Amino acid sequence: MILAAIRRWTGRTMLTGRTERVGRTGRTEKARRRYKPIAADIVVDIVAFAGLVTALALLLAHNTAALGYRWQWHRVPRYLLTFGDEGFQAGPLLIGVGVTLRIVAVSLLLSLTIALATALLRLSSSAVGQWIAGVYLECIRNTPLLVQLFFIYFVIAPLVGWDGWTSAVISLSLFEGAYASEIIRGGIVSLPYGQWEACYSLGLGRRDALRFVILPQAVRRILPPLVGQGISLVKDSALVSTIAIYDLTMRGQVIVAQTFLAFEIWFVVAGLYLVMTVSLSAFVGLLRRRLAVNYDR
Amino acid sequence: MTGNGSVTPDGPIITVESLSKTFANGVKALDQVSIDVARSEVLVVVGPSGSGKSTFLRCLNGLETADSGTVVVDGIPLDDNPQNRLEIRKEVGMVFQQFNLFPHMTVGANIDLAQMRVRKSAPREARGVTIELLRKVGLEDRVESYPSRLSGGQQQRVAIARALALRPKVMLFDEATSALDPEMIGEVLDVMRDLAAEGMTMVVVTHEMGFAREVGDRAVFIDEGRFVEVAPAAELFDSPREERTIAFLSKVL
Repeated sequence: MILAAIRRWTGRTMLTGRTERVGRTGRTEKARRRYKPIAADIVVDIVAFAGLVTALALLLAHNTAALGYRWQWHRVPRYLLTFGDEGFQAGPLLIGVGVTLRIVAVSLLLSLTIALATALLRLSSSAVGQWIAGVYLECIRNTPLLVQLFFIYFVIAPLVGWDGWTSAVISLSLFEGAYASEIIRGGIVSLPYGQWEACYSLGLGRRDALRFVILPQAVRRILPPLVGQGISLVKDSALVSTIAIYDLTMRGQVIVAQTFLAFEIWFVVAGLYLVMTVSLSAFVGLLRRRLAVNYDR
Repeated sequence: MTGNGSVTPDGPIITVESLSKTFANGVKALDQVSIDVARSEVLVVVGPSGSGKSTFLRCLNGLETADSGTVVVDGIPLDDNPQNRLEIRKEVGMVFQQFNLFPHMTVGANIDLAQMRVRKSAPREARGVTIELLRKVGLEDRVESYPSRLSGGQQQRVAIARALALRPKVMLFDEATSALDPEMIGEVLDVMRDLAAEGMTMVVVTHEMGFAREVGDRAVFIDEGRFVEVAPAAELFDSPREERTIAFLSKVL
């Protein structure tokens, strides 16, 4: 099982919830509980949030009434799911979710590969490698994603024969990979240099040091910001609708053009993105708890 | 060219010739130092902080690259050849001030790793050696513990066992007890004493003057990157000749 393998790699201890702190001086410090939610704070947050939402809803209701907008929520469900002779059938919006998820899944894998390779190049002793990685990073981070998407779709793709879908995945992967590589690099350099030196003094090479000592420790520092980058990927994927990919956003646009259900459909589309991103964080949160790395000093 | 084993067995195991190192910030860490270390000799290195003790030690296994001069360990020159560097690192174990144990691995896995990756030992075989080494440092019951569950003294003993995993001929100790609480220093020094008694060649940078005098065969006093005085340990500590050595010892003793 992959989980078990990762757990072995990053070195999971049996305990959860608390880590006993034993400093390098050997003094046992007071056990400290991590992720301690304070009930009162959460209640305050929820109340504040509910208040904000209510205020916004009231404002919206007031203004739409003034606009004379006719809400037709009953027309929406058929775009999500229909029930016919062949049982449940996904409507265009759900199909769009599927397209978005496929793009995101492939881009996620590809961008992580690019990110790791770039981070390692940047950290390598090879001047050429550093230069290549640096140029890639600066180009990607200093131009708009939309322009990159158009550039790849309208300039590169015809030259090499990529279709829209491939162009979309490659653009997103290159873009998110640049940011993710900095996250990975940060995680690696944040580890004490003594860890590298211990490896070298034991005769381990750079590759073994990375594989067995550095990356397994860096992963726990990298994971939280990397999830944020993954969420950005989900959101940024909406841009692929501009190159005629029928993702969730594109489907929404089409439905709105046909039905003029602008408010309802955009509400639903936004909600669906929210569901995707929140599920992604929840999934990673679950993964983190299952990997529960509490060997920390 | 990899050095070969044609060195006479009673020649020095480490030969250092006019080694110099200047850091990027202009600090001269080592200035033309030379010394031979004999087999089974315990060489203790003392001196004020910033005098170049650690740099000297780290040049012996290539963690630090000298600007000029040569280091030869057991007939193998420490040069740009990665193969030579690897061979030397297999023969030279190092213990750090901050232990540098791998916190995400159990004690056993810490000691297994180099055996499996560098010596290509089978896991079971490696574990056998690991247990034996842990027994030597009195921690055989902690194989499955994580380093964070151990006291500082225990962690440093594990680090010593780990450094011994490849059966090195030389052990380097870089202020191995400086990060420890006073009550834990003794247990680590005991392990080092045992190693010396077994005939291990050791280069020990330390602030424990009593230990240095007792266990050291020879002592070096280093200041501003130079070997100010090199003498049998008892002599250097009891009747130092150089003015700077006298001044330093009067401060720390």
